[in-house]
Amino acid sequence: MPKLTIDGRTVEVASGTNLIEAARAAGVEIPYFCYHPYLTVVGQCRICMVEIEGQPRLAIACATPAAEGMVVKSETSERTREAREAVMEFLLANHPLDCPVCDQAGECLLQDHSMEEQRATFTTHMAETRRTFPGYERRLIGPHVVQNQNRCIHCSRCIRFTQEISETAALTYKSRGNSAFIDTFDGKPFQDPMSGCAADVCPVGALTVREFRFHKRAWKLRSTPSVCPGCSIGCNIFIEHHERTVYRFTPRENPAVNATWLCDHGRFLAESLNAQAYLHPQRRAEGHLVRSGWGEAISAVARALKAARSLRVVASANLSNEELFLARELFGRHLKGELAVPLFAGEPRRMKNGKREWAASTDAHPNSAGARRLGLPVVDAAGLSRFLYGAADVTIVLDPTAHPFLASQEALQLLRVGPSIAFVRSQHPVADVAGWLLPTPSLASNEGTFTSSLGVVQRFAPAFAPPGGVRRTATGAMSPECPTIASPWGPPGEARPLWLVLTALARELGAHALDLASPAEAFHLMVKAEKGFAGLEWEALGGLKEAESHRERRNVG
Amino acid sequence: MEAVLLRARGVADSRAITTYLAAGGYEGWKKALSMTPEAVTQVVIDSELRGRGGAGFPTGRKWSFVPKDHPGPRYLICNADESEPGTFKDREIIEYDPHQVVEGVAIASYAIKAATAYIYIRGEFVRWANILEEAIAEARARGFLGRNILGSGADLDIWVHRGAGAYICGEETALIESIEGKRGFPRLKPPFPAVVGVFGKPTVVNNVETLACVPHIMTRGAAWFASIGRPRNTGPKLFCVSGHVNRPGVYELPLGVTFREIIYEHCGGIRGGRKLKAFFPGGTSAPIMTGGEVDVQADFDACAQAGTMLGSGGIIVLDETADMVDVADNVAHFYAHESCGQCTPCREGSDWCMDILDRMLAGHARPGDPDTLLRICRFSSAGMTICPLGDAYALPISSIVNKFRPEFEARIVAAAPLAQKKLPVLPWAGPRPGFGV
Repeated sequence: MPKLTIDGRTVEVASGTNLIEAARAAGVEIPYFCYHPYLTVVGQCRICMVEIEGQPRLAIACATPAAEGMVVKSETSERTREAREAVMEFLLANHPLDCPVCDQAGECLLQDHSMEEQRATFTTHMAETRRTFPGYERRLIGPHVVQNQNRCIHCSRCIRFTQEISETAALTYKSRGNSAFIDTFDGKPFQDPMSGCAADVCPVGALTVREFRFHKRAWKLRSTPSVCPGCSIGCNIFIEHHERTVYRFTPRENPAVNATWLCDHGRFLAESLNAQAYLHPQRRAEGHLVRSGWGEAISAVARALKAARSLRVVASANLSNEELFLARELFGRHLKGELAVPLFAGEPRRMKNGKREWAASTDAHPNSAGARRLGLPVVDAAGLSRFLYGAADVTIVLDPTAHPFLASQEALQLLRVGPSIAFVRSQHPVADVAGWLLPTPSLASNEGTFTSSLGVVQRFAPAFAPPGGVRRTATGAMSPECPTIASPWGPPGEARPLWLVLTALARELGAHALDLASPAEAFHLMVKAEKGFAGLEWEALGGLKEAESHRERRNVG
Repeated sequence: MEAVLLRARGVADSRAITTYLAAGGYEGWKKALSMTPEAVTQVVIDSELRGRGGAGFPTGRKWSFVPKDHPGPRYLICNADESEPGTFKDREIIEYDPHQVVEGVAIASYAIKAATAYIYIRGEFVRWANILEEAIAEARARGFLGRNILGSGADLDIWVHRGAGAYICGEETALIESIEGKRGFPRLKPPFPAVVGVFGKPTVVNNVETLACVPHIMTRGAAWFASIGRPRNTGPKLFCVSGHVNRPGVYELPLGVTFREIIYEHCGGIRGGRKLKAFFPGGTSAPIMTGGEVDVQADFDACAQAGTMLGSGGIIVLDETADMVDVADNVAHFYAHESCGQCTPCREGSDWCMDILDRMLAGHARPGDPDTLLRICRFSSAGMTICPLGDAYALPISSIVNKFRPEFEARIVAAAPLAQKKLPVLPWAGPRPGFGV
């Protein structure tokens, strides 16, 4: 545990920590472009120069391990300042001045450093013609990544990412010296299951994600911590949104799960969160859907449930632990209904954690481990079919996307048999047969926890109120008694998170123990009741505050 | 001085192993095999042999840095990637006496207990790569290489690895990357190659000329070698003289001889009786010296004291007709072309220098140009870059600007302003503008 002094602040760090991380621990920011906490150190950009007492030459902080008694000067050293200014001059000598039209503006490390640390009096000595790469200004190098080589600062982060993390080695340098540029290996398309991360690690606008380009300025986005719903690994993400529209997912640092990576499959689910096909509770009358209100819907559904002699509930591994718990308590224990959680194998996904170990998943659901832990019966396609063939007075589908079988003609025929209640968000054939349609919002408007296949319970926060304007309370929960004023920021509607509807149903059905005000309360109840969740604390499951800046968000600077 | 390294030059059929054996070849190898590796290293330390590739690091000490207790393989690499402008000594050694190199590689490998050695030769040296391969085959046929050499139990294989023509691959860590099959990017140091080198194993990289000295040290003894030259700068050195001299070529002279003696006595003076204006003492990456500094001794310490370096011993002589802006531009072009592009100051700076000097040459110098050049050079050298290529262009260019500044100022005075670029106005090809369109 070496103890060292950086800019007059003493800090003790683990041995082997480099000076950038040591300085971070001491509260001193050392600028860097090529360094990335989860990639090998190459020392190419030379901006992290620091002065170390007793050494004649400046050293690069990224490649210098902290040593006992070291006295480091970063911002307090005139030599360091001069050297960094010179390096910035070198980098900006050939960097285009196109920040206004560059999509990276606002989350660009070069721009940040230029704005924050260069002195106002600094001017460049560069008077020559800039280096350009004609034909490489807007080049789609793969399905998701757009390259602008003119902006590249040759930090090689993207190359190292494909070599060390995604292991495709798809990107490489071509040519040499000042004309060196980034290209795909052998000129093949940049086919990489994590290609979006190459754009993430790019400190400038040289690589950008095609799906996000020019959709929203980076500084307008707010980042809400969440968990990727794409598969059972449970990568930590930020939902980046503005005015109730989700624009993208970016990885959120978690060394135990996904370091700072996210696969393309998960990343590009972001857009799908904006789909909200059903905005109001609707009931089927004489074959037609009729708009209804929540009050009417809850009491009608409760009446139907009370009257039903048998009840079956198709739950889903896409629901949060709290929702599954409430469903089990309410429908299973209170109403003595039958529950099933259908699962299907998704495409294989994998993710590397901070120790560069792969985790694999062939499970397309974010919370199948939670369903198992709650002891809910897990079924496959055949099991689901058997479940639906069994007789029941009322069928409830908590999430029609739980299994593709639910969209099949066979399943729809079975659901037509008796009265059915479906909680829906996006367009789904179940809506054509269900007696009641109850709209639920997306993950971005929900709150709760998922249990990943790695066995970790992870919390996700609500990014914005669901369509229809449910106000958030001080604790972050949705207040149910909010007036349904049309929101200026989203489609007017009354989608309600499932947990909220379940608590309202519980109240109506007299299950007062389940009449809860927030997912946190449901979680506490679950922790008390379930051995599998014993000892967990809601507050401890991640400090879920919104990212203050893109640096924090991207965890690269 | 008697010829040592170039003793075979002019001898008939000098490349053949028979000729080499007749001149006492491979005696040093036999002698080394009868000694312990540590003793061989000690002999080289005692001889005070310093690396001939440019840095002048004591060779024996370099060998001794290899971890003694390392269990796995170690490697020796002979650096024949001779690409410093104005340097052509290694080629000369290989041309006339390749067995000298093979024997030197063998002894050095034995000293560091390496069973595999590579000779990394630049791709353009096709002829000399073939010569080396022939020599290695001959030595192997005679039992000087292979398994259980001469009954000593030592094994050694030597491979000739051809480069692809990059200057940077003469830098030892870039060379190691290149042997590993990667792009020739220098590595961050530490760790140094003696600890983590090729394939992650301890590796020693020595220049051809350095290794060619080793057999002579083994046969004639360290004291003999140390008696040539002057203390701390011992042994014979090959000087490659090019440029405006009457008799350019490779000269073998003891270290410590003055540049005046090399240029005026051995090379017959400046062509056409002109005056000496400047010279590069050791390839273009060494800071330039003016005609007035010709009495400096040509060895490592004296050159360092004079603010330059002996480098590879490639002396480039410039007479009074040389335009120093043009010289600087020539240097800048070479390094801008050869910068690997890895770290910022060298990648951007070398090209920037070239652009400024090109513009000055084209007659459009600006008042701030010399200072901008000095600024670029200042922040490209002295540890600002991963490898010494930053220093390699920064030091000569800044020394040229500093020592011949009046020539740069004269360019500024005579400069024509850069013609204003005007965007071409193309005739309108669309529909005629007007009402009713």
